[in-house]
Amino acid sequence: MRNGFTRSVILVFVGLLLCSVGCQGERVQSSLHPEGPAAESVARLWWVMLTVLGLYTLGVFVLATIAVFRRPTQEPKQPTNDREGRRFILIGGAILPTIILVPTLAYTVHTTSSLRMRDTGLTIRVVGHRWWWEVEYPDHRILTANELVIPMGEPVKLELSSADVIHSFWVPQLHGKMDMIPGTTTKFWLQADREGIYRGQCAEYCGLQHAHMAFVVKSLPPDKFVRWLENSASATTVTEDGRGFQLFKKHGCSVCHAIQGTEAKGWSGPDLTLIATRETLAAGTIENTPQNLLQWLVTPQSIKPGVNMPATEASAEELQMIVDFLLKQNGSSTERGDDDE
Amino acid sequence: MSEPSRNVEPSSTPDAELQQFNATWASPRGFPGWLSEVNNRPLGIRFMLTALAFFLIGGILALLMRIQLAVSENTFLGPDLYNQLFTMHGSTMMYLFSVPFLEGLALYILPLLIGSRDVAFPRLTALGYWTYLFGGILFYISFFVGEVPDAGWFAYTPLSSSKYSGLGLDFWALGLSLVEVSGIVAAVEIVVTILKLRAPGMTLARMPIFVWTILAAGLMSLFAFTTLLVATLLLELDRTGGTKFFDADFGGNNLLWQHLFWFFGHPEVYIIFLPATGIISMVVGTFARRLLGYTYITVAILVTAFVSFGLWMHHMYTTGLPELSLGFFAAASLMIALASGVQIFAWIATLWGRRPALRPPLMFVLGFIFIFVLGGMTGVMVAVVPFDWQVHDTYFIVAHFHYVLIGGAVFPIFAGMYYWIPKFTGRMMLPKLGHLNFWLSFVGFNMTFFPMHIMGFFGMPRRVYTYLPILELDGYNLFATIGAFVFAAGTLLFLLDILLSFWWGAPARNDPWGGDTLEWTTSSPPPSYGFLVPPVVRSRHPRWEAETLDCPPSASIEAANQRATQALDGRPTEWRGTLVTHAVNATPQAIHYLPGPSYQPLFVAIGLVVALVSVLLKVHLVILVGVAIMAIALGRWLSPKPDLVKRLRESDMADRAGLPILTTGSRSVAWCGMVTFLSILAMSLVALVYAYFYIRLYSPQWPPAGVSEPSRLMFTLSYGLLVVSAPALMWANRSFNRGYENQIQFSMTCVLLLAAAFLATNVYAVIDYGVSINESAYGSLFGLLSVYPWLLVVVGALLLINAQTRAWSEFRDTQGHMAMQMQVTSLYWYATVAAAVVIFGTLILSP
Repeated sequence: MRNGFTRSVILVFVGLLLCSVGCQGERVQSSLHPEGPAAESVARLWWVMLTVLGLYTLGVFVLATIAVFRRPTQEPKQPTNDREGRRFILIGGAILPTIILVPTLAYTVHTTSSLRMRDTGLTIRVVGHRWWWEVEYPDHRILTANELVIPMGEPVKLELSSADVIHSFWVPQLHGKMDMIPGTTTKFWLQADREGIYRGQCAEYCGLQHAHMAFVVKSLPPDKFVRWLENSASATTVTEDGRGFQLFKKHGCSVCHAIQGTEAKGWSGPDLTLIATRETLAAGTIENTPQNLLQWLVTPQSIKPGVNMPATEASAEELQMIVDFLLKQNGSSTERGDDDE
Repeated sequence: MSEPSRNVEPSSTPDAELQQFNATWASPRGFPGWLSEVNNRPLGIRFMLTALAFFLIGGILALLMRIQLAVSENTFLGPDLYNQLFTMHGSTMMYLFSVPFLEGLALYILPLLIGSRDVAFPRLTALGYWTYLFGGILFYISFFVGEVPDAGWFAYTPLSSSKYSGLGLDFWALGLSLVEVSGIVAAVEIVVTILKLRAPGMTLARMPIFVWTILAAGLMSLFAFTTLLVATLLLELDRTGGTKFFDADFGGNNLLWQHLFWFFGHPEVYIIFLPATGIISMVVGTFARRLLGYTYITVAILVTAFVSFGLWMHHMYTTGLPELSLGFFAAASLMIALASGVQIFAWIATLWGRRPALRPPLMFVLGFIFIFVLGGMTGVMVAVVPFDWQVHDTYFIVAHFHYVLIGGAVFPIFAGMYYWIPKFTGRMMLPKLGHLNFWLSFVGFNMTFFPMHIMGFFGMPRRVYTYLPILELDGYNLFATIGAFVFAAGTLLFLLDILLSFWWGAPARNDPWGGDTLEWTTSSPPPSYGFLVPPVVRSRHPRWEAETLDCPPSASIEAANQRATQALDGRPTEWRGTLVTHAVNATPQAIHYLPGPSYQPLFVAIGLVVALVSVLLKVHLVILVGVAIMAIALGRWLSPKPDLVKRLRESDMADRAGLPILTTGSRSVAWCGMVTFLSILAMSLVALVYAYFYIRLYSPQWPPAGVSEPSRLMFTLSYGLLVVSAPALMWANRSFNRGYENQIQFSMTCVLLLAAAFLATNVYAVIDYGVSINESAYGSLFGLLSVYPWLLVVVGALLLINAQTRAWSEFRDTQGHMAMQMQVTSLYWYATVAAAVVIFGTLILSP
């Protein structure tokens, strides 16, 4: 019975392991489904280490099982006496692991140096806030939030810092993570090889809504990316006289949020200039649809309890106008549908 | 197996004296007596039971978290409650369960393993217990106040600063300080006990492996816990004193906290893990009736202990450290891997072909090997920088360290409990329940934590109260949650097993497993003094001597050992006494007086709690009340009862054993205690100086803009006065050794005057310099490092005054207790002067 039990346990594990490898479903935040050179070499590193160390582990298990269950034999070939025992310990516990680990570690050092900071390309500044991401393209005077748009096929330099506590920037499909520490700027880089949308999430515990501090990285082919830069930099086509903007101001949105080129210059919340083009709302918490935006305005505290965003108290009609205003300003010219054509 | 007669020799002491001996060693009665208990066995049990209670609470918190995470976007716990629970779960398991439990086990079993009657400083045992208990209570009172710590067990700044965290963090920091004091105190206790109280003949090379592991863990605790104590002190000063150590806006540095914390945190894992492997070696050795590779295992333990202090950066790979010296980390990780590999193979080799009985202790050992090897492999992986960039702070890490800590510590603890509980309670546990517990724990554990590796790869970060359905992790999480409940059922069975064994367990014989170590020669449960006749040890396996005696002991050593132990046969009767032996070769050196029941440890702990709680409530005057309580209790603790020294001087024990009772130098346990204590002070100074240079290194300007340089002349003068006191004290010692009565008084007065002059000039110089501790990290560091020698000097002055007063009447006692007091006081004072010189170099001289 005991053996049956063990066998079933092993079966479950093998099943899980196979599933984790085999299920190539939509893994939007998986380091084992790499889409860029950095994540790819780390994933390769993992499979190499798994194979090498896994075989050694298996060997240890087999030896331990034999040790316990084998009958004592007459021939003292096995490590039964002191000297043989000592040799067994040294070979199995020290020499063999050295032979295995030294090349493995050499390989990892090689991988590490291949992942050195890239010097070329676009620079993006990302500042962590509780609990959203401020994104700035310093060379193009573009400000946005919770979304990085990058050109595919080339490295992008990141300058990371924080406005409050420590956060960590992580897009598993593109690269590992790098902490964002108040008082210092850390440097990192990303590269996506294909056009697509990759999800990232804060990986350093930063308080109440750490769980809902996500973002997306959108990689575009070079021509589309250039178009995006141009459209985004030329920014505001908002008419401040419009009813939408007036309501936006009247209900206090502009106290915390900025829309460039207007008198809305709040800075404690995400910049909303490009909100119409973004994939998500509330820092990767919900999809950016008119319906969700409306919900977010009315009940932010039930979507992301503890977030700084207060509920907007306005009539249904006014709310609808604010939503329309936000989702139809400037950004609507670069439709979000861009990448699924 | 028959009981070898040489270890359980019938006492030849007359009955009347035996009765008095028993009365001296009896635990005090009633509740007040319970509070004054100092004996290691009842206190060891108390430690273990308290830790077990915290283990259950921590486990319940874990189950609540697993319910919350069972499905995506669950609303069972809100984000605030979840964050509090994971903070308390981690803090409870790391600070309130694993270390204290192993301390309790060590305190109970250590004297039995090494053949002494108690640990070296029984009152410290009590102090350790009370500070631990009060610290744990302080942690959990936060729930009743509604201000629960929620910055994680690691409390990274600035999240843990007063700006982002409320009163809960004060409960955390102050409760933790108390637990740290407990950890340090236990470490002093364990180290000195192992080095000085071993049975005659138990040379270092004959110590049971478990003793080696707790010696290593004890030494590590001295350094690791002291660093953490300094770190929490800095944090609490920032929170309540307005200093700027971790405030980046004022030149502070947030990574400093991480460096200090992980300099503690990484060795902490091995402080837990090493004693656990010690348990494994004991169980494996007994079940296989041999232990192969004793030397290899010992070397592996020491290497692990040493190297673990060089690995703290492992936790900081993602902080953008400039130019990691990868080769160094790779080599250090490799050494840890090899050391663990050697241990694993030593156990396999030991078990090879011995057909060990598959009883519960061994089942847990096998479970340990399986789980720990997996955890070790993922450990090698996360030591690889780029791989760690991906899995750091994900569920892969959660899986990894639960494999290491549950596999590497909880399973061995279960093994150890099934192994030793018959010794503690005198009852065998019920084997069927033990087997069932093993299978539930083993299967439940792996169900819970194995899927977490995969969850980490698929993008689930740590410390999230929920996750989105698009991550498609619901299945894995639900599976893990079910596993957690299976595991919990196993633990409940363990508790049930302990309870039921009192009714249905077979009475345990002295040695139910056929073990080879000294604890199995005592009755189950053992009397409070352990051994009526202290044992003599002649090999690594005292119970299997007939089989393994390799080199017979020399006749003269054997005779000395026999004389010492025979003299202690049921004696001394009026006070508690045990043998002191040489730290290396364990030849008898002296008889050690062990104090009996005392309330002072409780009062010291209460004073400490009063002081800390008034910091928490910001009623600063009451701090003085707490300090006063502590000072009075400590004063009474340290000053021996008036007739005690006389009684010890006149005792006939010295003649019987041919050994002194009142000793000096390395023969004296008190002297060893002082050396250990000074190593703690040294470590705290190293941590502070490290903080100074670390912050300085990352500051653009030092001192910061607007702050002038301190006046070199004035500080040189001031510290110079203190330095001069060292030769003055040497002169005092020389006078004392020669019995020059008047010179002693004169030179000691000089030392005191110099100390006073230092204090006056230094306080003046610091005030004159006028740098504010609230305006820059530089000011905070300067202030704290200046106050540090003041405190040392004030305490030192009290010790000097005490010694000087006593020297008035006892200046002739150049070999006995007075001499020891002079030695210890001088040792402390020289250390104070050395510390002041280091601080002078740091603050004033360093370019």
